[in-house]
Amino acid sequence: MSRLQVRKVRRNQTIWPTVMFTKTDHQFLDEITGKPEVKTSLNIPSNSSEFTLPVYIKAAGGKTFLIQMSRDWDVARIKMFIAPKLGLKVEDISIILAGKSLADNLLLEECDLGHNSILNAVKLKVVKKDDAIPTNEKKSGGTPFHQDKPLCETLLDLQLTEEEQKLLHKSLGCSSPEYKQKKAHFYVYCESPCKSVQNGKLRVRCSLCKAGAFTVDRDPCCWDDVLRPEQVSGTCQMEGCDHSWAEFYFKCARHPSQGEMDSTLPLYLVKSNFKHVQCLACMDISDPVLVFQCSSSHVICLECFQQYCLSRLNERRFVFSPNIGYTLPCPAGCENSLIDGTQHFKILGGEQYQRLLHFGAEEYVLSVGGVLCPQPGCGMGLLADPSCRRIQCTGGCEFVFCRDCLQGYHIDECQPNGDGNFQSMLTSTEYVVDPRRAAQAMWDADSRVTIRVTSKPCPKCRTPTERDGGCMHMICTRQQCGFHWCWVCQTEWTRECMGSHWFG
Amino acid sequence: MANIAVQRIKRELKEVLNSDEVARCSIHVELVGESFAELKGEIAGPPDTPYEGARFQLEIKIPETYPFNPPKVRFVTKIWHPNVSSVTGAICLDILKHQWAAAMTLRTVLLSLQALLASPEPDDPQDAVVARQCKDKPQIFHLTAQHWANAYAGGPSINTDYENKIRRLKDLGVTEMNARASLSSCDWDLERATEQIFS
Repeated sequence: MSRLQVRKVRRNQTIWPTVMFTKTDHQFLDEITGKPEVKTSLNIPSNSSEFTLPVYIKAAGGKTFLIQMSRDWDVARIKMFIAPKLGLKVEDISIILAGKSLADNLLLEECDLGHNSILNAVKLKVVKKDDAIPTNEKKSGGTPFHQDKPLCETLLDLQLTEEEQKLLHKSLGCSSPEYKQKKAHFYVYCESPCKSVQNGKLRVRCSLCKAGAFTVDRDPCCWDDVLRPEQVSGTCQMEGCDHSWAEFYFKCARHPSQGEMDSTLPLYLVKSNFKHVQCLACMDISDPVLVFQCSSSHVICLECFQQYCLSRLNERRFVFSPNIGYTLPCPAGCENSLIDGTQHFKILGGEQYQRLLHFGAEEYVLSVGGVLCPQPGCGMGLLADPSCRRIQCTGGCEFVFCRDCLQGYHIDECQPNGDGNFQSMLTSTEYVVDPRRAAQAMWDADSRVTIRVTSKPCPKCRTPTERDGGCMHMICTRQQCGFHWCWVCQTEWTRECMGSHWFG
Repeated sequence: MANIAVQRIKRELKEVLNSDEVARCSIHVELVGESFAELKGEIAGPPDTPYEGARFQLEIKIPETYPFNPPKVRFVTKIWHPNVSSVTGAICLDILKHQWAAAMTLRTVLLSLQALLASPEPDDPQDAVVARQCKDKPQIFHLTAQHWANAYAGGPSINTDYENKIRRLKDLGVTEMNARASLSSCDWDLERATEQIFS
């Protein structure tokens, strides 16, 4: 939370200025980098149909071919097809997809491949595994290594507990098409080009050289194996790289692959609703759904989740947690239910997600004793010496203001009505302007009047607060403040307020 | 109205109308207009309370952000209760404020209000005058609440002593409603009530 990128943004609405966090402040997997090495055109060839599939073959030397394959081809046929192009013997070639060397008799359509997917073709290294496996890996065990089956097949049950898997098997039967469809239950938020929640594909690469030509020693058996670094070992098949840690990443399964860089974050709380649980908000049964991490595992549909986040965002009621960042609990009011992967809020959509980042940054600045530049259209977050009342918007609009009343800086006491000090700002210009006329010509005057007439500041944090009914007992809506105050006295709420004018 | 709120209210209405409580005429809900933004609720006074046999009308306003924020509920029928304003009908109940959770429904709200009628909490009052009476003079509180239930909510018990005192004030040109309010807040001391009205 230490790196702040503070940016000038047009002030939205009337009250709140905006600042922004860089993505590095959130625990995203965005850091997964890697250089796109596919240089061939990414357009889907026009003759592609449901029977053929354009697939890239990436050879060890860095050469990449686009091949139109038929979906009923097996791996042996691919090897025969590419052997002459690579100048290798058929028996020396291994085809690697998502951490596994594929068996010769495996059909292409069984491999979870999409348009422009990338297969790696290499000559397998001979590694003495006993030396290569790091010691902690030997102990961890994990699920048995399914030789020669694509990783996607063995990994799909990752999200389900054993009990849930049994239930799914029982209710649908292993071979039914519905079971296969339900099994595809990795979800990702595809920011581009789909801009929506989509099925995801799990992929593996070398965590050092980022090459896809990497074979794993065992299958991952839980989310931690996939999300945390250095959990699963393997062998990098690239010449000159003998790194032995796998790195997992996710891709959107809907759009044609845009290269190895085209990765996205898994929404691990989004699950296939095979149990037909109704949404806690709209009571519909939707699929997929988001399952909260509370002890009751409350279920919400994605549309309601979006609405929930949006209403909390508009009320600035996201909760700050030092380990997670700005997040939300289960709307059923459960204890310990904060969403711990902030990428789930990407479901809000790009624009609203940016707003969340802005608000989060502002709340952070305020919570560490900083101030936001009050100048309309600025809103720069400033961390100034706490003892200093005179604050200059350095690096922003250069406005000099008073920390206490957020008006132009003044030497004497703050004026109760707020904007009495702009006269001192005017005297610093060379023009002589009638202060009264200048007072009528302020761009923001109407907003200020409206705010002053319709709201009262929270006695603790000064957040302009509107009372839209109910009693006089106010609780500051800023999650980080939460001060209990009396609308009449404009001081802390007391028993006395309750006795004499609770209701006005 | 947001689609989710409308959808949700539609389902909740179904839930309420099929519930045992409605079958027993204990609670009732109906739409006001066609927007789903406002409803009319009704609860029966719980047995063994001064409100027994009376029926109370409620105004229910559904916010745009329902069910992620609570509905705004107010008593339309006048009621003498420490947690409800005797003037405006505003209710002091935690689940209608910070303790609201999206899993709660119109049905649970109405049942909670019924429970509130059965067990007033004078230590956390909305109406300070009523709360004081409830704590200090429980007998008078009981009779007053019963009288209000009779006067405004169709409750069965008629209190001729209270009726007479109200008539005395009405003869002096005071409206019935003001007379009842003043007498109630003065523990039915006619002299004090007269003083309060004419001072």
